[in-house]
Amino acid sequence: MADQADPARPGALPRSYATTVELSGYEEIREALFSPDLSRTFDTRSYAEGNIRDGIVSTAHGPMHRARRRVENTQFRPDKLRLYEQTLFPAVMADLLDVLLVGDEIDLYRIGEMLASVLASRRAGIDIREHDLDELTTIVEFVDIFSQGAAILDAKDPDAVRERVYAAYERFERDYIRPASERRQAMLDAHARGEIGADDLAHDILTALLQHRVDPSLELGDERRIVREVATYLQGGTHTNGQTVVNAADLLFAALPEQPGILDRVAQDLLFAQRVVHETLRLRPTTPKIRRRTVADTTIVGRSIPADALVVLDIVRGNQEPTLFGADPDRFDPDRTVRRDIPRWGLSFGAGSHICPGRSVAGGFPAPDGPSAAADHIYGLVPLMLQALVRRGIEPVPGRAQERDTRTERFTRWAHYWVRLGSPKGGSFAR
Amino acid sequence: MAASVSIDPDYCIGSGDCVRVLPDAFELREDLGVSVPRAAAAETDVDLLVQVASACPTQAIRVVAADGTVLHRSNGG
Repeated sequence: MADQADPARPGALPRSYATTVELSGYEEIREALFSPDLSRTFDTRSYAEGNIRDGIVSTAHGPMHRARRRVENTQFRPDKLRLYEQTLFPAVMADLLDVLLVGDEIDLYRIGEMLASVLASRRAGIDIREHDLDELTTIVEFVDIFSQGAAILDAKDPDAVRERVYAAYERFERDYIRPASERRQAMLDAHARGEIGADDLAHDILTALLQHRVDPSLELGDERRIVREVATYLQGGTHTNGQTVVNAADLLFAALPEQPGILDRVAQDLLFAQRVVHETLRLRPTTPKIRRRTVADTTIVGRSIPADALVVLDIVRGNQEPTLFGADPDRFDPDRTVRRDIPRWGLSFGAGSHICPGRSVAGGFPAPDGPSAAADHIYGLVPLMLQALVRRGIEPVPGRAQERDTRTERFTRWAHYWVRLGSPKGGSFAR
Repeated sequence: MAASVSIDPDYCIGSGDCVRVLPDAFELREDLGVSVPRAAAAETDVDLLVQVASACPTQAIRVVAADGTVLHRSNGG
């Protein structure tokens, strides 16, 4: 199943675009994301057959995309989210924070990624030793490479990224996918023989793909697609959560002069922590500009766009539309009032058929307007991580410059974010 | 006002958003990986039905008022 750098099919997709259109209004971006005439399969250098993202769900379009999402969305049901959020994650997180939060200068981004990688690995379907820091470091290194691949359109050196990603796929398949597939296929075979029940199967993306791989609508005949698909879920569930927890901390620290009690609120109120994360996502979207290609002549909010146009969706500006987010839309205000039909995170999880499948894992269900949530409310893993870190007293290291990821044009990406432990926050709530 | 609600199974991707917001009106068929309307959908507030249909990621939900007026089209028609 070794991945090869097959040349892209000549002429399969246009190498140039009829025109470039940039949309920046919330409603026009939303309509564009819902439009079936706008595709994510748009660039030969990254997404055509033989390239690093060939055949994965996030770049597919049409019936295969929908068939794949039907199978994979089963892993994001509320009962599974609650199991992860209320049972599995808190225990693992507490254990890991005990060993990770040491030293005078702690890289918050590394911690965020390592925490997120534990559950992202489970959900993707690879088996790791969850308390083994060396193994978590290996996973995070894979995630870093896959993240560069996912953001290749914004990479400063795409050829170097492509080479790294191909090599990583080979190692990832050899060390993780192959052994995990053998274990899961054995379980599926036992299930088919009636020896174990459905509940005894692993509940993860890899199992779901193996279980349904014979379905031709999923187009999983090439096993390398399974490698890439699982890698995508691992990457998506790790990198973005790590970046978001850093961005949330960065915004909270910046807000302290005006709101000195804001960290205590996060420590004491998980619903407020969730609103902080949603406001962070709105202001610091993981993908500041989303791109699409028109597959047909189309119209977006009355604007005609020809086929084969590159459509650039400015999520940052859309998320700061004053008519929806108030007169000060660029201000970090987790308490801002937002219309009930508008997500507090704006368009940062995307919308339409490619909406982020892990949005409820990361950010939970939409936060209610009142001071409390229902008993079965799902808050999301990032608010849980943020609250745990704040309770332990993270604060910036004085005089230490923070480091952005300069390999990408995306301004919301960090390479390192240095904190130290001050006084625990939250009074009796602090551990 | 009673409404007719249908979901196009070719477009539905089983996100479950409709079930989360209106669990009495929709349910997930895990064997098919898609949502389907429940009988109670017909008696559900049409404004809520249209709101849910508008938020459906693949626009798979069609809502028709009792008088035949199409309140929300699906991608399938």
